[in-house]
Amino acid sequence: MDIQQYFELNTALRESSAKLLDLNLYQSSKWSSEALNGLYQLESIEEKALYCRELQKLRNQKYLASLNSEGGIDYDAILDEDKLTLAKNYFNCKEFDRCANVLKTCKSISAIFLKLYSIYLSNEKKSQEESENILDQQDIGSNNAIFTTILKELEIYKDFKDPFLLYLNGVILLKKKNPELAQECFYQSLIEYPFNWSCWTELIISLSTFDDALNFYHKFLKNSKFNSNRINKIILLFFKIVIHQEFFQQSFEIYNDLEFLLKIFPNFSFLKIQKALISYHALDYLKAEKIFDDILISDPLRLDDMDTYSNILYVMEKKSKLSFLAQFASSIDKFRPETCCIIANYYSLRFEHEKAIMYYKRALTLSKNCLSAWTLMGHEFVELKNSHAAIESYRRAVDTNNKDYRAWYGLGQAYEFLDMHLYSLYYYQKAASLKPLDKRMWQALGNCYEKLTKYRESIKTYKKALQIDQSMNNINNNNNNNNNNNETTGGRDPIILYKLGKLYEKLKEYKNCYYYMKLCLDEEMIEGMTDETSKARLWLANYEKNKKNWALAYKYATELNHGNSHDIEEARSITREARMRLAGTETDDST
Amino acid sequence: MASNSPSSQHNSTLTISPLLINRRRDLFYVTPPTNVNDGTGAGNNDGSLSNVNAKKSSNLNSSKIFTSSTPASSSKLSRVAYNNSVGGEEEDEEDDDDEVDVGGDTRRARDEEKEQIPLSQADKLRLWRHDALMQHHYKTAEYIGDKVLALTNDPNDAFWLAQVHYTSGNYTRARKLLSGKREFDESVSCRYLKALCLTKLEKWDEALDIIGEINPFKNEQFVKNQDGGIKLEASMCYLRGLIYANQNNFDRAEECYKEAVLVDVKCFEAFDELIKNNLMTPKEEWELLSMLNFDDADNNNELVKLLYTTRLNKYINIKAYEEADSRLKEEYTLGENSDILLSRADLLFVQCRFQQCLEICEKILEKDEFNFTVLPNYLSCLHELGGKNKLFLVAHRLAENHPNNHVTWLAVGIYYLSINRISEARRFFSKASLLNPNFGQAWIGFAHTFAAEGEHEQAISAYATASRLFPGTHLPNLFLGMQYLQMNNITLAEEYLNYSYSICPTDPLLLNEMGVIQYHKNNLNQAEQFFQDALERAKDLNSDSKAWLSIHANLGHVYRRLRLYDKSLQSFNQVLKISSKDSNIYSAIGLVHLKRNEINKAIETLHVALSIQPNDPVATDLLKKALEENISSERNEEFLLKSEEAVSRYFKNSSLFKTKSVKSNQLVNTPINRMKNFNLNNKSTGGNNSNNLDVKVTSDIDFIVNDLKRGEDSSDDDGDDGEVMVIESD
Repeated sequence: MDIQQYFELNTALRESSAKLLDLNLYQSSKWSSEALNGLYQLESIEEKALYCRELQKLRNQKYLASLNSEGGIDYDAILDEDKLTLAKNYFNCKEFDRCANVLKTCKSISAIFLKLYSIYLSNEKKSQEESENILDQQDIGSNNAIFTTILKELEIYKDFKDPFLLYLNGVILLKKKNPELAQECFYQSLIEYPFNWSCWTELIISLSTFDDALNFYHKFLKNSKFNSNRINKIILLFFKIVIHQEFFQQSFEIYNDLEFLLKIFPNFSFLKIQKALISYHALDYLKAEKIFDDILISDPLRLDDMDTYSNILYVMEKKSKLSFLAQFASSIDKFRPETCCIIANYYSLRFEHEKAIMYYKRALTLSKNCLSAWTLMGHEFVELKNSHAAIESYRRAVDTNNKDYRAWYGLGQAYEFLDMHLYSLYYYQKAASLKPLDKRMWQALGNCYEKLTKYRESIKTYKKALQIDQSMNNINNNNNNNNNNNETTGGRDPIILYKLGKLYEKLKEYKNCYYYMKLCLDEEMIEGMTDETSKARLWLANYEKNKKNWALAYKYATELNHGNSHDIEEARSITREARMRLAGTETDDST
Repeated sequence: MASNSPSSQHNSTLTISPLLINRRRDLFYVTPPTNVNDGTGAGNNDGSLSNVNAKKSSNLNSSKIFTSSTPASSSKLSRVAYNNSVGGEEEDEEDDDDEVDVGGDTRRARDEEKEQIPLSQADKLRLWRHDALMQHHYKTAEYIGDKVLALTNDPNDAFWLAQVHYTSGNYTRARKLLSGKREFDESVSCRYLKALCLTKLEKWDEALDIIGEINPFKNEQFVKNQDGGIKLEASMCYLRGLIYANQNNFDRAEECYKEAVLVDVKCFEAFDELIKNNLMTPKEEWELLSMLNFDDADNNNELVKLLYTTRLNKYINIKAYEEADSRLKEEYTLGENSDILLSRADLLFVQCRFQQCLEICEKILEKDEFNFTVLPNYLSCLHELGGKNKLFLVAHRLAENHPNNHVTWLAVGIYYLSINRISEARRFFSKASLLNPNFGQAWIGFAHTFAAEGEHEQAISAYATASRLFPGTHLPNLFLGMQYLQMNNITLAEEYLNYSYSICPTDPLLLNEMGVIQYHKNNLNQAEQFFQDALERAKDLNSDSKAWLSIHANLGHVYRRLRLYDKSLQSFNQVLKISSKDSNIYSAIGLVHLKRNEINKAIETLHVALSIQPNDPVATDLLKKALEENISSERNEEFLLKSEEAVSRYFKNSSLFKTKSVKSNQLVNTPINRMKNFNLNNKSTGGNNSNNLDVKVTSDIDFIVNDLKRGEDSSDDDGDDGEVMVIESD
């Protein structure tokens, strides 16, 4: 990146930070200024000098331009200035209604934005305060009337194409569960003003499938504002990375893009977090943990996304580290939703599920949009065997973020627990479409179809699971350049194989059944003895017995020495019978 | 002059007011007032001086000059007249001079004359009596009036004495006095007052006997009123109407009121009764307006016409109203007048723009806190917009200050209705209707309380009462129709709605209901017609009003049954744009998706429906249906295929991606496995449930759909009912 581009990026970020702050869009402004400070430092003296000169020149130009601006005076803006100042102060003191009231008669675009924005915030605040129990149903779409009035007023100003009014419009449409229109608004807004990160975030939230996300990415890419402007392309790259991260997509390309951005923004925690999250989704916990450790050192008081870190520690069962993180977070801010999630994870790891639930609830009271807390709370309820509460929290999880495959899977499980397989089938389907590379999803689906007595479908899904399992193993094996190339055919999950065998048995297709039972038993060579392989062996023994292949039956039955007493008893009886028959045939032969 | 006959019905009491003497002092001086048995009040209070002089010579002994003014005559006039009469003794209020265009010249001339002409003894007593009455010294007025009457025995003196009795509430005495002599009966004013007393005593039949069942002056040719007051003939017609209304003979009452306004346009009382009680259909109202002769109002004719125009119903001729409104604002600067604002509020109310209506009502009430004409509108707006707290305050203020007014108890009733305490609301509505049995709003509110509790029979009888009281408005019939619709009595419902339609064919709500009827009768095309029509009519309505929504929703249902699924979805989406809180709409959309075999969308939408209303039976059934569809093998095939793409995409990428070093066994560590105690495979508790499911699978989708149809539609009607209730629940 040359110095000119560096300078452009730097200026764009600085200006956006100031502009967003002026509009009271704090989160976006924060992002911009973090990115600004995350930029790489200029090394050489010449470059620094050049940079300073350029900056000074720009400032002078601006000043001159401001002196000469005689033409279009925005009368509305000038007349509203004083009221706007007052309103901003009210806004900063969190008196949103008062802020809106002051601006009632103002006509300038920025005043209207602030007015509608504060009405929106006030409404959000009230609905949050009014819902007492977070598992209450009522707060969904709490005050439509206010949304409608805001939307109506926004309609008037639609022709101005003000990016921030469009952003607000999108946010409200999204709240009203109208994602298509919301996406259009976000798109328009971003075309007008790409440096509003909150708008990108909302756009990502509104997307429900990866295909949609990719479509949007290409749409942006084709737009003249993005394909010709180097700076905007960088922002778009952020979008690309985040959508890949959010939809659990892995690809080489993304890693390259990440590295590219990290070169420009070596000190930008947000990017590092993305990297960590991608590793986390790729189940590379060690790498993720390491990145989080780095962030803790470079940006020690940052709590954003630390709940994900605690998830990683949980899965890795690093109790002491999690405990440290919990203490540390609560020393920074006890009442951040992230802190509460960390503490809840800690309690969960200690099997204190009630306490964990309490902390998740606290996190959700602090922020309804705490994405992972809903899902995690669902898990805790499952632990406590409270399926209904679990379903409720999973539902809310899916409501806030419909990309969370864990919540969908959890819903499936909870309904399965209630023997409502029709429902759980649908949720598993959802989960599987979000994570098609996870064999567990397919297994769950297969199990569901089996319960619904749809054996054919069940077989299909199990085969799918098997196929994925195999391909994954193959890739890993290839990647590792591993030595045991002869194993490529193996590595299949005996559980699935046994299930398949059982299903064919139910369909009375004994040939196929035999085939899978045999495969299952073959796995024993590689994976060692499991319940399934033993059961397969027992089944084979029975099969051979019925076919009167006594020698084989005897062989299978005698090899069985794992399983419950009933199985072993059965095996023994087969052994006895086979031995007798074998002896009998021998005697027959001899006689 | 037409006043030669003894029945001076063309005049008002202004003619016989003692204050007129000032204007015709000459007559009065020449002729002693004792000679008055054939009252020929040739009053001409606004005639030019020459006119007066001309009369002086022609009508010397026919003047009826009496002391004291009627309370009915406008205060301004009487005050001016008063000033004239008492000249120097009383302090003149300066602003009076500007407002009276009786002609300054005339007055000045008279003032000059006055100095020369002393008043007679009787006249002085009359002035005394008059002033006493004006200052509410009833005892004085009675005492002196009695003496004047004794001295003169004049029917007009009797009239004024009776007037004193009447104002002090002694109706029986007034009546007794007026029945005293035969001559009194010949005087129109005396007859009118007597009948009025009888109505106060609620002796309707006797009152009717006195003023006659029909207008006795009907056949006489039209004569312009000369004195600027209200013609007694008109007042009598109005009184006749009032009596008929109290005898529940609304048709006759309507005729009489109309006659009153036609006889004298200044008889606002009758006009108000006609409009306020909706005795005429919207069209008739406008016809009446065109028939009215505004010449009676002299140079105010334009103003009066405009004012009356703003009072008419707002269903049709909005343009004429708007024009009148803007002219009143610009030419007469009456823009801030509360009645003009009120008519604007009425318009907004009819258009369902409650917020704006509320603002205007508040503006009016700022000036006049207890303006009882605007309060009903205000209260219903508050109810509509959920302003419970304000309703509470208003109701309390009213109850403290006006415990005997019916509007007060209406307010209390509406408050209870809005906090959903139906039985209390009912009690107060009934209290309001007891205080004023002709108060239609209270009756409707009363009926709504029954409707809200699903007591259809009682609601119907209450609505029927309301419809009897408001024969010219379509609303009670509309409500009746809706009640019958809910009771599934389509025939009766249609009958009522048709009747309502004949009164007002433009109300979108009514058209909506008509559409529902056709829908129930399976005339889908006709239903569509009605709904389209309703939408056309509702164009001016505020698009977030609930009425507008239910039309769209119903249209969606019609299209759904016509299998025009795209159109149907469009309609439903229109609804969702405004309000996303109705689970029925989501259920309906889910059903459409199901019919189109878009199972995923159907399931998603039904989930939304259930998240709004967790136990909605319709949505639950449909969801089950959709999920059953979902397990079919084609669906699975499709699903597998789709995921195949994703998988292959991944493998394509990852073949390039050699550095990745994920071991398959790490899969086991993902957060899902946190559910350790939740092992799927151990949980397979046998297929005891699958039997049930099999049974359900067999049921045909259309069967359920038909089953649901009724449920859905009627729930829609509920919604409609609710909003109509709100709209007119004043």
